[in-house]
Amino acid sequence: MQATAIGTVTVTIILLGAFLYFRGLLIHLSAEVFNQIEISVYLNANITPTQTEQLRSAITRDRRVRSVQFVPKTDGLKELRRRMGGQVDTSLLTQNPLPDKLRVRVRSPEQVSRVAAHIAKLPGVATLNYGQDVVARLMQLSSVLGKIGIAIIAVFIVIASIIISNTIRLTVFARRREIGIMQLVGATNAYIRLPFICEGFLDGLLGALVALGLLAIGRVELMPKLSSALPFVRFSVAANDLWQLPLELLIVGGAVGAVASWVSVGRYLRV
Amino acid sequence: MISLRGVTLVYPNGVRALDHIDLEIEKGSFVFLVGHSGTGKSSVLRLLYREVKPTAGSVIVDGIGVDRLRRSRVPALRRQLGVVFQDFKLLNDKTVWENVAFALQVTGAHTKDVMRQVPRVLDLVGLSHKSRMYPNELSGGEQQRTAIARALVNNPKLLLCDEPSGNLDPTNTTEIMELLLRINLKGTTVVVATHNQAVVDRMRRRVVRLDDGRIVTDEERGYYFLGLGQTQVLSG
Repeated sequence: MQATAIGTVTVTIILLGAFLYFRGLLIHLSAEVFNQIEISVYLNANITPTQTEQLRSAITRDRRVRSVQFVPKTDGLKELRRRMGGQVDTSLLTQNPLPDKLRVRVRSPEQVSRVAAHIAKLPGVATLNYGQDVVARLMQLSSVLGKIGIAIIAVFIVIASIIISNTIRLTVFARRREIGIMQLVGATNAYIRLPFICEGFLDGLLGALVALGLLAIGRVELMPKLSSALPFVRFSVAANDLWQLPLELLIVGGAVGAVASWVSVGRYLRV
Repeated sequence: MISLRGVTLVYPNGVRALDHIDLEIEKGSFVFLVGHSGTGKSSVLRLLYREVKPTAGSVIVDGIGVDRLRRSRVPALRRQLGVVFQDFKLLNDKTVWENVAFALQVTGAHTKDVMRQVPRVLDLVGLSHKSRMYPNELSGGEQQRTAIARALVNNPKLLLCDEPSGNLDPTNTTEIMELLLRINLKGTTVVVATHNQAVVDRMRRRVVRLDDGRIVTDEERGYYFLGLGQTQVLSG
């Protein structure tokens, strides 16, 4: 019966831990992506340096803008060569097809689309690009995760408590005679409860430990495969930030075990 | 010591176990509660150790209003009285010593007190030499004596016995009754619910007879059956 209780905690903590880990990973990744968001403002081919300077100072005056950097088309081509290096033979290009560009970074990622719309109307701007689709999806994902994350965790913990409480009730049921005798000789409810709560706490802690071990193995085994499948995602960086997750899971495991025991024993203490 | 006034007890299933009971038991007395099974003997005892609350009426044990006792005060009441059952209610994974010591330990007693009190009561019930044995290694009589030792280890003023000889042969029954008598002589009030006619008739103590939840007779130095004493007196 104890094994059942420990197993229940283990499964719950694994689910909870995996969920929390990926949630942390996604939040971390989206923050990283947000920080990299920039608006590439491509200028008209026939624009004069004076007009470019005017445009640049107009954009800089916008308070939502953090920085503006002028990238002449020669630098743009170098950058393109570097990124495409080895894949496309750029030496075949006989002339530079790129326009001059302004690289604009905004202060907060939520404002990027409004800033972009504003810049698009300025004179001398040919076109602009800021990865509209990606930004929109990431914004959605992170807000959804933030909102339902707490709810999902709460549901997880409640379900775990109910299952564990039922499992521990079996242990209590097996010892109801002992509980009855303790009450008969004048033991207080707190005195009777204490060993059960300690047991529940230890069961929960043990279950959480097993779960953490399995999660750690899973991470070591799965992460290299995930990394090679999704090469642009930097898993290792995100994982380093999650050092406090094991501690939280241990506390959750122990607390859930203790609370479930408290509730289960209570049913046999009514005088 | 004990005072029941107008006590009615109706169980949640609707069974009327006791019906307007009045009963006074003085300090230091020895009282038999007799009657058929289901006439309310056990219910009277259960009221006294607050296993149940009366539906109506008042229950006073050693000055404590048991019927109005808060749940948190129940352990304190139970430490002041000992209870012995037909099925002994011993913990089978604990030795005789541990079973007796258990009752002291749950009250938070110091080890010093445990080391002093447990040998005293084991000596009283005559089980000092078997203190390291487990309940299933003992005879029924020895198990019941262990239970009595446990009931006495807190030095209660009142000892309640619910069919203490129900599972015992006549020899063991006699021994247990003699033990209860000795305990009574030391000043403990003893209340015994039983339907063992031989015990009641031999001991000639106060007999309170219950029938269908009511007290039908209450005699000093009584017999199990009403009027049996007179027959015996006549034939003798």
